[in-house]
Amino acid sequence: MANNPPVPPGGPKGKQTLREGVWGNNPIAIQVLGICSALAVTNKLANSLVMGGALIFVTAGSNLLVSLLRRHIPRRIRMIVEVGIIATFVILFDLFLKAFYFEMSKQLGPYVGLIITNCIVMGRAEAFALQNPPLLAIVDGAANGLGYAIVLAIIGLVRELLGTGKVFGLTVLSGQWYQPNQLMVLAPGAFIALGFLIAAFNLLKGPQAEPGKEAKP
Amino acid sequence: MKGSLQTLIFAIALGVTSAVLLTGAARITAPYVEKNRQEEKIRNLLAVFEINVPAGADHEQLLSIYRANVVEPKETDDPKFYRYVPGGSGESRAVAVHFIGKGLWGPVKGFLALDPGLTTFVGVTFYEQEETPGLGGEIATKDFTDRFKGKKVRDLAGRTGIRILRSGASGPNEIDGLSGATLTCDKVQEMLNQALGQIVKEARHGE
Repeated sequence: MANNPPVPPGGPKGKQTLREGVWGNNPIAIQVLGICSALAVTNKLANSLVMGGALIFVTAGSNLLVSLLRRHIPRRIRMIVEVGIIATFVILFDLFLKAFYFEMSKQLGPYVGLIITNCIVMGRAEAFALQNPPLLAIVDGAANGLGYAIVLAIIGLVRELLGTGKVFGLTVLSGQWYQPNQLMVLAPGAFIALGFLIAAFNLLKGPQAEPGKEAKP
Repeated sequence: MKGSLQTLIFAIALGVTSAVLLTGAARITAPYVEKNRQEEKIRNLLAVFEINVPAGADHEQLLSIYRANVVEPKETDDPKFYRYVPGGSGESRAVAVHFIGKGLWGPVKGFLALDPGLTTFVGVTFYEQEETPGLGGEIATKDFTDRFKGKKVRDLAGRTGIRILRSGASGPNEIDGLSGATLTCDKVQEMLNQALGQIVKEARHGE
């Protein structure tokens, strides 16, 4: 590790890391991690976007710090250290929302705080930031956050539109000919939307290669 | 041994850094958070009295509108009535009480406003609620709270209490609930009737 030359985030490795996080190894659609919040806060598009933003901030921030400290973190307590760092970033974001976006903070309720336990954040710290230089770690964190945010935005859009006929609280599907389907606002709607989304991802990506095997068309 | 000491020092350093950072951030944001809380309460009280607040009014404007129209209850008052006394008229147009009730998932706070004779609803608001977003959470919308306006606090037989029905509300004290949020509506009915019972009883007591 010590011999690794520094990799600029825009370089080939940076681009690949970005693509992996957003698309190739999307945390929700491919790894199916962190779906608790993806199901819970996505009945409105605005909520989904803020939650996605929170995850980008937290994952990028915690990845950076874990990567900077990666040669000093004692192995035995590394997970506790990671959680400590993640929790600090999450609480900062929560305070920021409470102070400046009070309405949004109320709507998201406990889910901002629960980012601390989101497997994506911890997963990236463990799997990537501990072995990679800081700049690349930021790219990886932001990319995974972005991958999460995009999926949430799609689910949020679909659920709000079908469930209430609105987008960002503005009526799009008129009540005269569209009967909002309340199921989409409820929890089952989230599962259904996520299921379709994962299926679509798999369809677009083509056959998945098993680890160590080549994908055959 | 050396490794353990290093681990300990690292853990302490990280803990202290994080604590200092968060305490600092909390102190910086505290006044804003407090302002938001106060503003929310004031906005709800103004809304329940149907006092117009210009769109985009800032904190100072809000406070001045509030002070010009609302008389706060004294510590010794029971029930604690907020009175709507439009700018210097000396006559109260409506009274409101603050209530806290149990919702489906957590506490619900709100204001309940009646006419000075305590017979008719002037308005209701709910805030700091944790009901299911999109379902029970809709109790906080104007669409729902408007349904209370003009409703009577007693039914035709003279019994005190509001009734929230699934649909087909027809009596003077009946309103339509929210579809998909029957449980929340039941809780709302309960907390409002508790608040009503308190006011009506206390008011009689004081007569």
